[in-house]
Amino acid sequence: MSAQPIAATRGTSSASAPPAGTPARPAAKAGANPPGHRRRDILLAAAFLLPNLVLLVAFTYRPLVDNIRLSFTDWNISAPMASFIGVDNYVEWFTSDDSQLVLWNTVVFTGAAVLGSMVIGLALALLLDQKLFGRNAVRSLVFAPFVLAGAAVGVAFQFVFDPTFGLVQDLLGRVGVEAPAFYQDPEWALFMVTVTYIWKNLGYTFVIYLAALQGRRAELDEAAEIDAASTWTKFRRVTWPQLRPATFFLLITVLLNSFQVFDVIDTMTRGGPLGNGTTTMVYQVYQETFVNQRAGFGATVATIMFLALLVITLVQVRVMERGREA
Amino acid sequence: MTALAPQDRPESRTSDSPSPAPPSAAPHERSSPLSRVGGYLGLLLVILVVALPLYWILISSLKERPDIYTVPVTWVPDPFTAANYSRVGTGVAFTDYLRNSIIITTVLTVVEVTLGVLSAFALAFLRFPGRSLVLLFVIASLMVPNQVTVISNYALVAQLGWRNTFAGIIVPLAGVAFGTFLLRNHFLSLPKEIIEAAEMDAAGPLKMLWRVVLPMSWPTLIAFVLITIVTEWNQYLWPLLMADDSSTAPLPVGLAQLQDTAGLTNWGPVMAGTVLTMLPILVIFLLLQRHMIKGLTAGAVKG
Amino acid sequence: MNPLDRRRFLQLSGLTLGAVGLSACAGTGSTEQSGDGGPVETLTMWSNHPGESKPVESQLLDAFTEETGIAVNLVTAGASYEEAAQRFNAALSGGELPDVVIASDVTWFNFALNDAITPMDDLWQAVGVDTAGYVDSLREDYEFEGAHYALPYARSTPLYYYNKPMWAAAGLPDRGPETWAEFAEWAPRLAAANPAVAPMVVPDGSNYLDWYFQGMIWTFGGAYSDEWEPTFTSPESLEAGRFLQDMYRQNFIAISNDANNQFGAAQAASLLQSTGSLGGLKETAQFEFGTAFLPGPPPGTPTGGAGLTIPANISDERKEAAMQLIAFLTNTDNTVTFSQATGYMPVRQDAIDDPEMVAYLEENPNARTALEQLAVTAPQDYARVFLPGGGARIGAGLDRITIGGEDVETVFRQLGEESQQVYERDIEPKL
Repeated sequence: MSAQPIAATRGTSSASAPPAGTPARPAAKAGANPPGHRRRDILLAAAFLLPNLVLLVAFTYRPLVDNIRLSFTDWNISAPMASFIGVDNYVEWFTSDDSQLVLWNTVVFTGAAVLGSMVIGLALALLLDQKLFGRNAVRSLVFAPFVLAGAAVGVAFQFVFDPTFGLVQDLLGRVGVEAPAFYQDPEWALFMVTVTYIWKNLGYTFVIYLAALQGRRAELDEAAEIDAASTWTKFRRVTWPQLRPATFFLLITVLLNSFQVFDVIDTMTRGGPLGNGTTTMVYQVYQETFVNQRAGFGATVATIMFLALLVITLVQVRVMERGREA
Repeated sequence: MTALAPQDRPESRTSDSPSPAPPSAAPHERSSPLSRVGGYLGLLLVILVVALPLYWILISSLKERPDIYTVPVTWVPDPFTAANYSRVGTGVAFTDYLRNSIIITTVLTVVEVTLGVLSAFALAFLRFPGRSLVLLFVIASLMVPNQVTVISNYALVAQLGWRNTFAGIIVPLAGVAFGTFLLRNHFLSLPKEIIEAAEMDAAGPLKMLWRVVLPMSWPTLIAFVLITIVTEWNQYLWPLLMADDSSTAPLPVGLAQLQDTAGLTNWGPVMAGTVLTMLPILVIFLLLQRHMIKGLTAGAVKG
Repeated sequence: MNPLDRRRFLQLSGLTLGAVGLSACAGTGSTEQSGDGGPVETLTMWSNHPGESKPVESQLLDAFTEETGIAVNLVTAGASYEEAAQRFNAALSGGELPDVVIASDVTWFNFALNDAITPMDDLWQAVGVDTAGYVDSLREDYEFEGAHYALPYARSTPLYYYNKPMWAAAGLPDRGPETWAEFAEWAPRLAAANPAVAPMVVPDGSNYLDWYFQGMIWTFGGAYSDEWEPTFTSPESLEAGRFLQDMYRQNFIAISNDANNQFGAAQAASLLQSTGSLGGLKETAQFEFGTAFLPGPPPGTPTGGAGLTIPANISDERKEAAMQLIAFLTNTDNTVTFSQATGYMPVRQDAIDDPEMVAYLEENPNARTALEQLAVTAPQDYARVFLPGGGARIGAGLDRITIGGEDVETVFRQLGEESQQVYERDIEPKL
């Protein structure tokens, strides 16, 4: 019995490279695969995958299909009936000034969240990868916010940013500087919710990077030390390349997560100030569906969001593939 | 880039008891006195920034009501009070909610880990047509926000007659996308030689999963378990829609009744509830973190 | 126009699912818990327990069970009115409906408009509810096109809270300002006597500034709307907007994300807040504070809070039993009990003469203010409570003219246009 099929596919499809890989890649080698073996694989794959796929179809994709259909209607959330209105909702979203702001907020929030939590997570991982006293306790500390419910985080951070009770105004007040109006200036408000989310999400990126650092190749480090390379050169030439797969993995998962942040924004600003100062797409979905009762329009925003994420992820995977080959 | 990872030492890894090398033994951990000082300064900064909000949640739960919002802020509760905790304990059916949370989280974790392992195994080691599409299908399900799914799922679950049952809460949450993605990446990173050797032995796929793949994957599995526990423990919206009373409602839903959006929320008990909800997970984390830190990226890290 | 029946649509999805393993249930969306005809044995009530009222609600429901033999299942439907509405909406698309559900001043109308909740007038007759006994304005808040869709339950109104020591420091009489003009006179004195403290703080647009400002705009002779006709751009409305903007610019009115606690921590001399905050402030504030009517001339304030409604798609027997339950929860004795436990206003006229209530008001003069103010309240403007998203829309506009510093006329004209557009798109076709 040949081990080739598995080795072949494992060799060509890459670790964190999901969808874009060409499905029929090992076609030439497939012939070498004994037919019985192949059939067994298919049956087994079906048995292994079906329960999970059935659940995903029933409870994620069925609602998604519902959602896409409803996005072409004027459905009011409380109404038993809805009328098809074609692409009116889509036209409205793409031509509305509000959407531009919402899109901008989403891009800024997501971009900053991805970048911020990854850069800081990496810095913390580099720091706590060193042999320092008390680092295990600090590692746990960094992970702890990830365990908190988002709503509690929102309340706790009022004590950081509040113009009356907050730590920031307290500290700045001591040096005679007036704190920014975090809850009232839309840009500072967006900054505030972003920082809060980064804090919460730090534990996740930190742990992934830390593990990546721990798994890196010691002999490369030693070689670099013999070369007497500077710390920065060492990081850039030796450490960073080894962290690339972790970076790509995080890029995908952190982006998908931060795109869908709801509870932190809801408890801190309810999408305000000035109406939609911190409204992101997923918050708009909620707002339109449940507050404005325009569930059809909310479904449209959700559909656009899904498609955008799909495209972004596919692009990420392509880039990742290219980076790997290079 | 094939990284030299713990998995590259199969003889120490295929045993059932994983013994990750203590981090301190890693040879790359050398630092000059200067970077030490910088390191400790960094640690101090991290502690300050990360711990402050946590500290605030904790002391708010130990303050009397008028002391929570004061100008200037009070850093140490004066007087300390445990009244908020006893209020959570007596005011709501805390033990019922705790039991429900444990049931829901345990079942979901077992089911999700099982399904995740099987799915990831199929996607990593079995050859079948449309495999990439299936993977895309799994990952894309992470892109559907739950605001979209709840209404539709509510209708379905109600038709099945599962409202206010554990099945109604658990089954719709049981599909596994993140874990499948994570584990599949990890499986693909396992050393080829060992997988090939297992194939040579003509070990069946199930045997290979049990004897070869899983023993090399405990750290990643533990990471997956932890993230699943955190996620399911904090579920709010879906259980809120499904559960009618303390026979099925988990902690986050049960504690929601402490909040009062119409008036002035008494944050003391809410924060006490938050701390109590968080504690069991932190304990689990502390117990498992060593393994997790070794494991979480094994899949992601290496090509 | 191709109407899509959502229920059938969802069932179809269910059938698709059946093909891959799970059984699809044939039931319709709205299921009834017991067969038609038989006596109702259990009722289900959905509440978000406003005012931390779960204990008192349970207590009242037990009393109901004792009296009627009907058990009541009290369900926590969320931490807020919004969550409760979200849950009810989920149930509407095909789940088990409750028999009684709480709805706030801004959520009930959409349910009524879409026939999701029952008009109550016939039920009142059938069950023999003493409707005349309710405070008229509170009952009439739920009237639309000649039918009533709820009975008042946890009802609140804004109050003018003021910090007595700060008032004394400014040499002001121990009362609230009678008009907004008087407030404008007092504000500089308050500011001078209490440095670094805002003379008044109000919640921002994300925290229902639109509710509090509604009373202010009325005292200037303006309004958000006259029935469905937006009136943001009337000279009186604009004047009110400019007044608010001017007070904000001069730092006489502060706008806050947490006005309650700012006042409670003595960082503002006065506060516009719901009666619902009375109990909390009593526990938090370390100084003596008074309550007063909102500045006039009347009407200078709306009411708000929640009522109890009955879903439309349950059996008539259940509806009658549900009506019985609502009448019980809001009878004089029980509204007095509920009011004392939560700080909400009693909803019946004779509650104020109830001996228990008299004793309570004796001890809590601040609670009396709300009751007496009821006489000078008015029903809310359609543009805020009936138009979908009205409150949030107006709140955002008020944020813009204050903290955003935008031109009042521009913002109010936009509010008028948007309200008109929403009316034509979402409401008019359904009338």
